[in-house]
Amino acid sequence: MNGHARPDGPSKVRGEVEFGTDLSVPGMRWGALVLAPLSHARIRSVDLSAARALPSVTAIGAAEVHGLVGASGEPERTPFPLGEVVYRSQPVAAVAAPTLEAAREAARAVRLDLEELPAVAGLETVFPEWPGPEAKRSPHVAAHVLARRGDIARALAGAETVVAETYRTGAVQQVPLEPHACVAEVTGDRWTVRTSTQSPFGVREDVSAILGLPQEAIEVQGTWVGGGFGGKGASLLEPYALLLAKAACAPVRLALSYREEFLLGRSTLPMVVRLETGVRGGRIVARRVRLLLDVGTSLPGRDFATGYSIGFLLGPYRTETFEVEGYAVRTNKPPFGPHRAPLAPQAAFVAESHLAHVARAVGVDPEAFRAAHLWETGGTTSLGQPVGPFGLPAAVQAARARAAEWRGRLPPGHGVGIGLGFWSTNTGAGGEARLRLGTRELVIEQGEREIGSGSVLVGLAEVASRRTGVPFDRVRVEYHGTSDAPFDSGVYGSRTVGALGRAVDEAAVAVLVTVGQRLGASGTVTVGVDGDRLVARAGDRRAAVEELLTDAERAAGGIVGEGRHYGASAGIDETLVVDGSFYPYQDFTGAAHVAEVAVDPATGGVRVVRYAAFHDIGVVLHPGLARGQVEGGVAMGLGAALTEEATWSEDARLTNPGLVDYRLPRLGDVPPIEVTFVEGYPGAGPFGAKGIGEPPIIPVPAAVAAAVEAAAGVHLTELPLSPERVARAVKGGRTCGAGDAAPAR
Amino acid sequence: MSGTNPAFRVNGRPVPLGEVPGDEVLLDTLRWRLGLRGTKEGCRSGGCGACTVLVDGRGRLSCLSLTRELEGTEVTTIEGASDDPVGRVVQDAFLEEVAFQCGYCTPGFVMAVTGVLREGGRLASTAELLRHLGGNLCRCTGYVAIARAVERARERLP
Repeated sequence: MNGHARPDGPSKVRGEVEFGTDLSVPGMRWGALVLAPLSHARIRSVDLSAARALPSVTAIGAAEVHGLVGASGEPERTPFPLGEVVYRSQPVAAVAAPTLEAAREAARAVRLDLEELPAVAGLETVFPEWPGPEAKRSPHVAAHVLARRGDIARALAGAETVVAETYRTGAVQQVPLEPHACVAEVTGDRWTVRTSTQSPFGVREDVSAILGLPQEAIEVQGTWVGGGFGGKGASLLEPYALLLAKAACAPVRLALSYREEFLLGRSTLPMVVRLETGVRGGRIVARRVRLLLDVGTSLPGRDFATGYSIGFLLGPYRTETFEVEGYAVRTNKPPFGPHRAPLAPQAAFVAESHLAHVARAVGVDPEAFRAAHLWETGGTTSLGQPVGPFGLPAAVQAARARAAEWRGRLPPGHGVGIGLGFWSTNTGAGGEARLRLGTRELVIEQGEREIGSGSVLVGLAEVASRRTGVPFDRVRVEYHGTSDAPFDSGVYGSRTVGALGRAVDEAAVAVLVTVGQRLGASGTVTVGVDGDRLVARAGDRRAAVEELLTDAERAAGGIVGEGRHYGASAGIDETLVVDGSFYPYQDFTGAAHVAEVAVDPATGGVRVVRYAAFHDIGVVLHPGLARGQVEGGVAMGLGAALTEEATWSEDARLTNPGLVDYRLPRLGDVPPIEVTFVEGYPGAGPFGAKGIGEPPIIPVPAAVAAAVEAAAGVHLTELPLSPERVARAVKGGRTCGAGDAAPAR
Repeated sequence: MSGTNPAFRVNGRPVPLGEVPGDEVLLDTLRWRLGLRGTKEGCRSGGCGACTVLVDGRGRLSCLSLTRELEGTEVTTIEGASDDPVGRVVQDAFLEEVAFQCGYCTPGFVMAVTGVLREGGRLASTAELLRHLGGNLCRCTGYVAIARAVERARERLP
C-alpha cells in the first residue's frame, strides 16, 4: 500500500473486530420488530396479549411509549404509528424474549387489526402530468424548490435548437454486508445504546427527538461498522431497542435480518427528470430542469434531497439562463435515505446523457461540447457559488486522451464512453476534535468509529501526524461515547478528513502552541521521537514531552488541544432562489471516468471490459486508501449503472427484498480499474485535502451509458441499464449516430 | 449417522453435538453456542458468503449447513485460520494488499480463498481461482484489492 499501514488490518483479517451484530452482554434479551403487512392502513388495534402470554416475553406498541419514556418526543416522529400505517414493513410493535426464535414467535403472535387504505407507489401515479403551481398544496408534496436566472422562456425561444427529454432513474439500496444491529440498556435514567452507526451524535439527536428524552440522558457508543454507505447515518433500530430494554428491565439486542434490511432500509428512491436545453451557435443558451423526486414517507421539512440533487442535474456546467424546479413527492414507501453520494450518480447520468444527446442534435462532438461548458477554477456555478481550485477540466482532458487511445483498438461490439461528475465536502453540522499529547503517544479522542474507508483511523491520524511531526505509528484514535467525546456530525458526505480533519488540524495546532509556550521558544514547534519518548523541538530548544507536562496534565494523560470546524459555506446567490432551499456545496471536487463495454445485442447484457478514473481530490494524503475508495466506488457505481434497482408493486410492496433479485456486483463483474489523481488543485481540507468517499461512484452510470450508446447505438433514458432495457432499445432500433462505435456484429 | 456421543471438531477442538437441536445451522452454533463470532452473519441464505468456513478443508456456507449433519468433520473458522499454513498466507496477502475496508466480508473471504487455494493450489491460474469466489460479496473494495491478494497468496503457497 502507498501510505501508512492500516492499524485495523491485523484484527480485521483475523476476524477479531466486534461489529454491531457481534455484541453480546450477559442477561441479554433478543428483540424483534412487528412489521406492518400493508402499505397504507388505518390501525384499528394492535393486540399484544397473545405475545405477552408467552413465557418471558416483553411486548410494546404505541400505547406503551409514553409510560416508558415519561414524556413524548416529536409528535410526527413517533416510534410506532398512532393512527395509520404509511409504509409496508413500518414497525408497529416490538417484542423481546430470551432467544431470537422466541422473539420471532412472539412477534408473530401480535394481532394487528388494520383497515387497508389506497397506497401510492409511484411518482407518476401521484402526478401523471407535470404538476402545476397548485401542486405545492398537495398532501403528496413534501418540499418544493425553484430557482431561475434570466428569462427562460425567451432564451428557449431564441435558441436555434431545443432538445427536450424525460429521464427516469430507479431506487438503489445501500446493502452493507452487516445489517443494522445494536444493544441497548437502561439503567436508572441513563439510556445507553451500542450501535453500528456512521453518526453516534446523529443517533443521540434522533433518539432524543423520537423518545422525548434529554440528550444528556442518552449515551451512544459506536461499534465497528460493517459498511454504511449512508444507510447507517440516522437512527433506525435504536429507539426500539431502548424502549424494549426499558420495558424488559434487561439489555436488549435488536438486529435486522437481511430481508428486513431491504424492507426497512432508507433507500435512495426514483426520480423523473424533464430537461429542455436550448443551443445557439454551439453554446448552451438556456436550460430548464424539472424534477419529481420520490421521497417515500419522508416528513415535510425533513427533505434534503430535492434542493440537493438539483445541482447535480445541472452538472459542472455553467449556464447563464436557467430554471430548475423540483418537487419532493410523498409515496407509501419507506422514507428516503442517503446512498453514497445520494442521487448524484443518477443525476450525473441524466445530465451527461442529455447534454451528449443535445450535442449530437446540433452536430457537435459530445465530449468537446461538455468540455467547452465546464466550470473552471475561479468561476461560479449556475447558482452563483464560487468554484475554488477545480481539477475537473484537467481530469476531463486526461480522460479524453485515454478514451481516444482505447477507441483506436476497439473490438466489434465494444464502445467507449466518458462520464463526469462533481462533488463537494459536506461539513454537515460541524465537528470538534480533542487531541492529547502524552509522553509516548498522541491521542485523538473520537466518537466516530471507523466505517471502513480508513478516514477515521488513518485519515485523522495522518492529519495529526503531519501537523505535529509525531510519527504516524505514535498517533492513536481513542473512541469515546457521546457523553465525553467531542461532538461531530458523522462519517458521511466525504467530510471526515476534509471537514472533521480541519478540527483535528486546529486541535493539533493548539497542542503545538502550548508546547511552544512551555519550551519558551518562538517559531515552528515539532514533536518527534527519541527512543520510546516523544520529544518537542522549537528552534534550539528541545525537551521531552514528559518534562513539559503540568501535574494535572500528567494525571490526565497529556497536553490537550481542542479544535472545531463548523464550515463557512460559500453562499448561493439567494436572489436566484424563488422557493425552497438549495444545498450549499463547498470545496468542489470532480472526476472524469472512462468505460469500455461490450454489449450483447441479443440479450442486452453489458460487460464492462476496462475502466479508468481520473480524480481531483486536492492533495492526496494517503494514495493507497484513496485508490481503495475509487475502486470500491466504481464497483458500487457499476451496480447502480447496470443491475441494482429496488422495485415496488402498485400497492407499494418491495418486490425484490434480497440478494437474488437485487443484484450487487460480484467479483467477476468488476474490470481492471486504472486510478489517477489529478493534482495541483488544493482543497480547503487539511494540507489541501478534499473528500474522496463519494466522488468515485458519481460518474459511473454516465460513463457506462455513454459506452453502451457508443457500442450499441442506443440512447437510454432510464437507469439502471438492465439487460431488458438495453435489449428493448436495441430491438427498437433507436440509433443516434453511433459516433465512435465500432460496428456490432 | 449420529453415534452415542456425536461430536465434531472446531479449530482442532472436539465439540459435542448432543445438545445441538437438529435444525440449528452451523453459523448459529459457532457464533452463539461457541462464541466464535469472527464468522459473520450476513444474508443467512447463501447469497453473500460472509459466513464461509472450512469443513474438512473445503469452503462451506455455515448459514446453510445443519450442524448435526457435520458430525465427525473438522471445521475451521477464521479464529483457526492462522493455524492453517494456507490460511496464514491468505491473511498476510489480504493485509499486504489491503484487501479489506470495513472488514465484515473479510473472514468469509479469507476462508473462501483458503479453501479455493487448498483445492486449486498453485497450479490453478488466478483467473480460475477467482471464478470460484463469485459467491462472496464485498461492498467496499470493488474486489480489485481482493483479486490482487488472491494472486499474491497463490504465488506464496507453502
